[in-house]
Amino acid sequence: LESNLADIRYLWEEGELRLEMTVDEVVDLIEALFAESPHPLRRYALSSLVNNLLHNAKPIPFEFLINGQFLRTSIDEFLTQNGISAETTLNVEYTRALIPPLHVASFEHDDWVSAVDVLSGSSPAGGWAGGLQSGQERILSASYDGLLRVWNLSGDMIAISEPPNSGGRITSLKTAKWLSYKKVVAAGLDSVVRVYNYEEDTRALTPSLELYNHRWGISDVAVHGPSNRILSASGDTTISLFSGAAKDNPTAPASLLPTSTAASNKRQKLSKSDKTIPSRGALSALSGHASPVTSVIFKPDDPTVAYSTSQDHTLRTWDLPTSTCVDTRTTGHSLLSIAALQNINLLAAGTSARHITLLDPRASATQIAVMTLRGHLNAVAALDTDPHSEYGLVSGSHDGTCRIWDVRSVRPSAGETGQVGESVYVIERDGMGGKVKASGDGVKVFGVEWDRATGIVSAGEDKKVQINRGVGAGGSST
Amino acid sequence: NIDPESLLPKLPSPDELRPFPTTCAAIFRGHDGRVRSVSVDPQGIFLASGGDDGYARIWELSTGRQLWNVKLSDEDAVDTVRWRPGKDACILAAAAGESVYLIVPFAILTPEIEQTSRDILDAGWGYAASKPSTTADEASAKVPPARWSRPGTKLENKGVMVQTTVRSTVKVIHWHRRGEYFATVSPRGQSSAVAIHTLSKHLTQLPFRRLKGLAQSAQFHPLKPIFFVATKNSIRSYDLARQELVKILQPGAKWISSFDVHPGGDNLIVGTYDKRLLWHDLDLSTKPYKTLRYHKEAIRAVRFHQGGLPLFADASDDGSLQIFHGKVVGDLMENATIVPLKVLRGHQVKSRLGVMDVDWHPREPWCVSAGADGTCRLWN
Ligand SMILES: [Mg+2]
Repeated sequence: LESNLADIRYLWEEGELRLEMTVDEVVDLIEALFAESPHPLRRYALSSLVNNLLHNAKPIPFEFLINGQFLRTSIDEFLTQNGISAETTLNVEYTRALIPPLHVASFEHDDWVSAVDVLSGSSPAGGWAGGLQSGQERILSASYDGLLRVWNLSGDMIAISEPPNSGGRITSLKTAKWLSYKKVVAAGLDSVVRVYNYEEDTRALTPSLELYNHRWGISDVAVHGPSNRILSASGDTTISLFSGAAKDNPTAPASLLPTSTAASNKRQKLSKSDKTIPSRGALSALSGHASPVTSVIFKPDDPTVAYSTSQDHTLRTWDLPTSTCVDTRTTGHSLLSIAALQNINLLAAGTSARHITLLDPRASATQIAVMTLRGHLNAVAALDTDPHSEYGLVSGSHDGTCRIWDVRSVRPSAGETGQVGESVYVIERDGMGGKVKASGDGVKVFGVEWDRATGIVSAGEDKKVQINRGVGAGGSST
Repeated sequence: NIDPESLLPKLPSPDELRPFPTTCAAIFRGHDGRVRSVSVDPQGIFLASGGDDGYARIWELSTGRQLWNVKLSDEDAVDTVRWRPGKDACILAAAAGESVYLIVPFAILTPEIEQTSRDILDAGWGYAASKPSTTADEASAKVPPARWSRPGTKLENKGVMVQTTVRSTVKVIHWHRRGEYFATVSPRGQSSAVAIHTLSKHLTQLPFRRLKGLAQSAQFHPLKPIFFVATKNSIRSYDLARQELVKILQPGAKWISSFDVHPGGDNLIVGTYDKRLLWHDLDLSTKPYKTLRYHKEAIRAVRFHQGGLPLFADASDDGSLQIFHGKVVGDLMENATIVPLKVLRGHQVKSRLGVMDVDWHPREPWCVSAGADGTCRLWN
């Protein structure tokens, strides 16, 4: 056993926490790991042991990873299943176990809620603003009624937008994002990207700019505050790049404006509106997808690069300065949603075929799908990363659930899909009482955001924004 | 001793034939009464439906969200809805009673697409006035086979731009792939049962003076100027250019409800009220190549996938849809491979009526169904 000591690494999820143990304690742990025991050693026993070693007054649940995989059985079973001989050196890591995310609150809407975005000290827009104090968290929701709403965490609606004048066209929103703590971007079925000013003091959410470049509805936008850039993904198979500042954008294409045709102009005037909002066109358009584009993000550490998913089964990488597609990954299914696990160089794509595909977008990667996360019973419409872990994800599905994933919670699988992962937790819509149906009839989840301070915020067909938080985990831990 | 089983050709197992629809991904609620017809738009974004409530409705396909609707008739059901082919414009044809309505649902379109679509429908106004009827038939010269008109302010304000009224209730609309022609079938219309309409001229022609039997359905060949017409017991194909009968298929059915032509043009499926699904290979014989009898009640609709996947589906009054693999090889020596894949259950049977119509997504292995239970469903 002595010889294995140096090979055992203990990793804290939070880098600043270092575990100091005496040699005796380490030996105890290792002996415990390999002990022949009448009760096979499982996660719970190991977790108690580590808590003893740490002298924790209040035990913290721990998960154990052996050679990068979660221990879900006894160690003996694990070694047998993975064909590892007991003589082999094992990499053992432990990490704080996720606590079941409990329902904290639901905010009622008049209609289906298609998307949410969080403004907090730990959210992107909060970060761009130089930090936001606790208690100033805001939730932005986008609804099929065409309206944007801003909420505080107590569930008070602070502001609501006016219905846009779109000349009789349906203005159902599909997406909304904080561009800064004072600006939001929203888009949907009427193909117009709208920038709104948000005034906390006057509780006003007023449109300041309308951006035109799409011929069919918009399903997603991405924003980058520092460069004031907006990307929009459309059913017309293109992605547009806009500036959040009106003057930076060129003139809008005339044929797309409501005033461009007699019929549309007439309807526009009939629905009276006293103020005109400046309209502009796009800085550039990204063409290449063969079917509707469903989702788009900026590369987290490089806003000159974007990733997009499409119903054409591909995930594409775009170089924005040159408006070119630099990489195309073709999968077997219609792709609906995307999130970047930046530190481990993976992109997660939610599919219509009920799973999540993990892809390595780097040019050197040859494997198409590194990993497949299975468990949802319907389309995976939304994805976000875990703010506490570079390995974590949350997904929102048309089956009416959100699921939490750790990409290390995998088992090997036959076939070209690489490893297969199972979800760590399932979050139902509040009031469903365990009745999950594949069709998600009435409770489909359309949007999800995971914020360190706020928790998991999801939006759905049940006309609610729902907040779930793991007690003791992340921002709310003690 | 030879096991007779071993002589049968080995069929691939359904597992090897993925992907095909297996589960209900969305339920579309909103119709009051039976849904008669469903159609997925050429881009795969919208679902159109028509029902006994007299409404044509448009839904977001992926979510089941109703986006738009119009009441076309107070008395008649909307018996059929069909999107016009082509991605540049967005036009829905819907039939209620004796009328086909051509609709530009501007509420879900950008002004540019709306204008392109309106231009296509507007081109034919005044054509009939400037050019006298070219129909040789004396009788029909007096009474035009169809009246093309504006449907009135109320409907026009919703985007219903053209009303084409024939002499008898329209049950079937089928577009030619270029979107310039559509055929309608009015089973009780006798000599005017089958009509071919030219969109750019607002012109209606009756290609058949007499039909042997009650017309059930009609369809254009996907590639050639050939037109298929189904009566109760047989399907005739006609060469439109030469104006002559090409072939008479005899499915051996008591009553044909529907048929569909394979995108390759050489194979055809037929659904019957006497519970049978028949596959005809036009190269082989006038008799069916395969007879499939899986349903307990009438088959109301049959449909091939049009986007390159070897799939077809039927819809039955027993409340289920059946999904089949149907692989056509471009080789006269080799026959089609047909494998039953999946029974899709979910629709409830109401007053002995189950699933009324089925359509496929233009690219994906997803289908949609219209139910007598008032719902549409997306299966993937
Ligand atoms: Mg053949």
